[in-house]
Amino acid sequence: MTDRANDAIPEPAGPYPPTEAMLSEPVDPDVAEAQARRLRKAWETPKGFRYITAVNNTEVGRWYASTALVFMLLAGIMALLIRLQLAVPENDLISADRFNQLFTMHGSAMMFLFAVPMFEAISILLLPAFLGARDLPFPRLSAYGYWCFLIGGIFVLGSILFDAAPRAGWFMYPPLATEDEGPGSDIWLLGLSFIEVASIAAAVELIVGALKCRPPGMRVNVMPLYAWYVLVVGGMILFAFPPLIAGDFLFELQRSFDWPFFDPDRGGDPMLWQHLFWIFGHPEVYIIFLPSIAVAAMIVPTVARRPIVGYSWIVLSAVGTGFLSFGLWVHHMFTTGLPSISLGFFSAASEAVVIPTGIQLFAFLVTLLAGKARMTLPMLWVAGALAIFTMGGLTGVMLALAPFNFQAHDSYFVVAHLHYTLFGGMIFPIIGGIYYFFPFIQKKMLSERLGRGAFWLIFTGFNVTFLPMHLAGLWGMPRRIFVYPTGYGWDLPNLISSCGAFVIAAGFAVFVFDVFRPKRNQPQIPRNPWDGGTLEWSHDVPEENWGVRSIPYVTTRYPLWQQPKLVERMDAGRFYLPDAEEQTRETLVTSVIDARPTHITRVTGPAWITIVAAIFTGGAFILPTFHWYAPAIASGVLAIAAIIYWLWTATARPPARPAKHAGLGLTLPTYASGPDSVGWWAVWITMLGDATAFASLVFGFFFYWTVQPDFPPDGALHANAGLLALAVAGLGAGWAATLGARKLNRAARRGAAMAALAAGIAVSAIGIAAMLGAVWALEPATHVYPAILWALAVWFVAHSGVGIIMQGYCLAGILFRKVTPDYDADLWNVSLYWHFLILTVVVTGAVMGLAPGVL
Amino acid sequence: MTRPTHPPRPDEDRREFSEEAASLWRITFAPVVWAGHFVLCYGIVSLACIRGLMPIAATRAGLVAISVAALVAIGWLGWRSFRQWDTAPDRAANVGETEGRHAFLGHAAFLLSIISAIGVVFVTLPLLLIGDCR
Repeated sequence: MTDRANDAIPEPAGPYPPTEAMLSEPVDPDVAEAQARRLRKAWETPKGFRYITAVNNTEVGRWYASTALVFMLLAGIMALLIRLQLAVPENDLISADRFNQLFTMHGSAMMFLFAVPMFEAISILLLPAFLGARDLPFPRLSAYGYWCFLIGGIFVLGSILFDAAPRAGWFMYPPLATEDEGPGSDIWLLGLSFIEVASIAAAVELIVGALKCRPPGMRVNVMPLYAWYVLVVGGMILFAFPPLIAGDFLFELQRSFDWPFFDPDRGGDPMLWQHLFWIFGHPEVYIIFLPSIAVAAMIVPTVARRPIVGYSWIVLSAVGTGFLSFGLWVHHMFTTGLPSISLGFFSAASEAVVIPTGIQLFAFLVTLLAGKARMTLPMLWVAGALAIFTMGGLTGVMLALAPFNFQAHDSYFVVAHLHYTLFGGMIFPIIGGIYYFFPFIQKKMLSERLGRGAFWLIFTGFNVTFLPMHLAGLWGMPRRIFVYPTGYGWDLPNLISSCGAFVIAAGFAVFVFDVFRPKRNQPQIPRNPWDGGTLEWSHDVPEENWGVRSIPYVTTRYPLWQQPKLVERMDAGRFYLPDAEEQTRETLVTSVIDARPTHITRVTGPAWITIVAAIFTGGAFILPTFHWYAPAIASGVLAIAAIIYWLWTATARPPARPAKHAGLGLTLPTYASGPDSVGWWAVWITMLGDATAFASLVFGFFFYWTVQPDFPPDGALHANAGLLALAVAGLGAGWAATLGARKLNRAARRGAAMAALAAGIAVSAIGIAAMLGAVWALEPATHVYPAILWALAVWFVAHSGVGIIMQGYCLAGILFRKVTPDYDADLWNVSLYWHFLILTVVVTGAVMGLAPGVL
Repeated sequence: MTRPTHPPRPDEDRREFSEEAASLWRITFAPVVWAGHFVLCYGIVSLACIRGLMPIAATRAGLVAISVAALVAIGWLGWRSFRQWDTAPDRAANVGETEGRHAFLGHAAFLLSIISAIGVVFVTLPLLLIGDCR
């Protein structure tokens, strides 16, 4: 049965691309005024207490960035306490336990609550503006991600006030972390897993935004470099975070139910955690670094007053760094006794990654040399970033050499190195970016004088703090000690470092004061204060919430420099989507490569449901920390209910009219399903991340087999083969039923489609029961072999359960005519989920059923 | 620039310059070869040295052969993308045109194949320089 062509969804019609004659035709001012009024109404930000229901990218982005900034300041205060304790030898200011909590939380908060969220915040805030889009495709998803981040962040950081914070170091090595008494490790695992959900949500949002929401004409080779970095970093998040989520999953199963994944006495291996953590942890460094350098890539051309030199070289370096950074993780594990050839691979890859990283820095330098560079305030920060990052990079080259690393491992040399890379690669470019983009974000300027003061304080303080740490480390001072004896030559460098830390703090105080001081008396700023060439500087001053008045046709990399009259035509409403006839939020969706307009998509507006969903999702993650499993399950069920309500009421509803005018004579469809729609891409991207997490679990299975001579142990009980086969068959039938339902529905056989879905639910449920039966006799707490089989089974059951919920959702959709033969996006998205699910099912069956016989 | 030797075929340009959704993937092919090579090296050496499935000398020789194969694959990808970049008409002038985008994707893929080749060579060095599992 082939899919019937969908007649109800028309093809785009009308002239494209627009001619110069069409663009130069004036717009009637009265019409334009009426359009502007309707647009303004549609994009209005809720007032009063309803303000928190806003989902507009500018609001969510500002909250996100401010929250991340506050978390950063709190983590910075922890750093100051650490430096106070270490200022003099044999200090008794802070107890050992408190000190452990402080350094663990300082690292965890800076990484998970500041660096990664800051990337998400800045991208949510700026990406639509770079692309001349109204908003990102899933505003409520951004808002949901933000509320998850806020709840999780407060929970994790708040624990330190109750003396219950995690204290096993930011990478939570077992057995220290698994054996640790108290809820600290659980808070880390569950709280941060919860925030990782927000990161993946943001990755989905940003990838789809960069691929599908570019303005007409903006081909991939024209889009701002920032969008390239967003694509690369989004892709990296999908492959880097899931291994950590899988690791967290195993870790929490050990903490809660004593399944011995990392316990060598029962066949486990703490090294598996190290692998999973660093497969996440090293790419993470580049996930932080690349978007920050992307901010620099937006500042440098403006400062040099010329287009960037070597656009494709920078794309090369972003993509190349993204790939190579996954081959570095073992350089955090050089002293764990792996074969030296293996160490060599990772050492070699660590040296290779320097090449693309260097290329992008050189491209910046060449651009500055080739243009007429001015040392503006943002550029000052970027220059500081380049200097500091280069120093961190050089010590990185040293540490990538295994023999040197053996000496410097776990010493203050490493502390110095990582702070040089993170300050140079993240803090400085981001602050430069805040100075540069502040006029765009808040429609006010920051103070030049305060900015320069803050720069010199932070730059000087930074070097005073961290340069001596290289020496302290080479003189043998280990990381993470809360007290040290006098007489090793460590006294002076530590004292200097502690003084420097307070100079940094003074600099941040100046910066934060500048950002938050009232600026009501400041005169209205010019629209494009830096003479930038990219679309964000077409913003409206004073602020409008619609993103852009009309979505321009863009054919150059620096449209404000290279396309005369662009801004005035945007303002006049000459370009696309100048109107909101139904006063609903809409944006334009374009094709991936060449950005040809394909359809107009409805964008969701303000809602409480995202907040409700985030609160219950938070409950599902946070309550298990205290072993309150029943309320946690209840909270999880309510979270699912909230998300279903949100999807049902606001996504993929059949449109009132199949097509509408998009401006410039173009008529575009208002609905898309399958690969044309943004939702399908979001499912695809999410499931790619999910598949990576699953692959990490399977990696765990084979890891145990590789490192242990007797895995599976002789005489071990295996999963019941017959029931396992039944489980795979049941889910296989469920998959076929889902696919069949999609085709039946498209053929307008609604009854048959609903019957297929109902049958699919039944057979899938049988499959789930069979899977539970297959592992029921195994005792996971006795040995790692039954434990990993159980873990795979849990994964299988959870994903199949979600599959059943989706089948039910579509069944209800057809019944209540949310899903019709023509408007069937839900069925396409659910089928896509099931494609990934069946892959999981087959691999699980093979690993559990076949591998023990073969190995 | 080479000229095609056959008369124009219907839709030839359209296919050549049409959306090329695949070519956004294509720029990642060379790095994917690098990644596959890396995973093979890491996995197989672990099987040889830790699980003890096969002798390390033969493993090293086999992996060097795989490295050569990876380099050949990257070389071929690089050559194709070089052609795509270099033969695009007037490649510098018109970034906003289809040809400009076509050439750009070729150029990016070409540069990525160079960096991937360097990566493969780097990762092969330990196989040549380190003799055993210690």
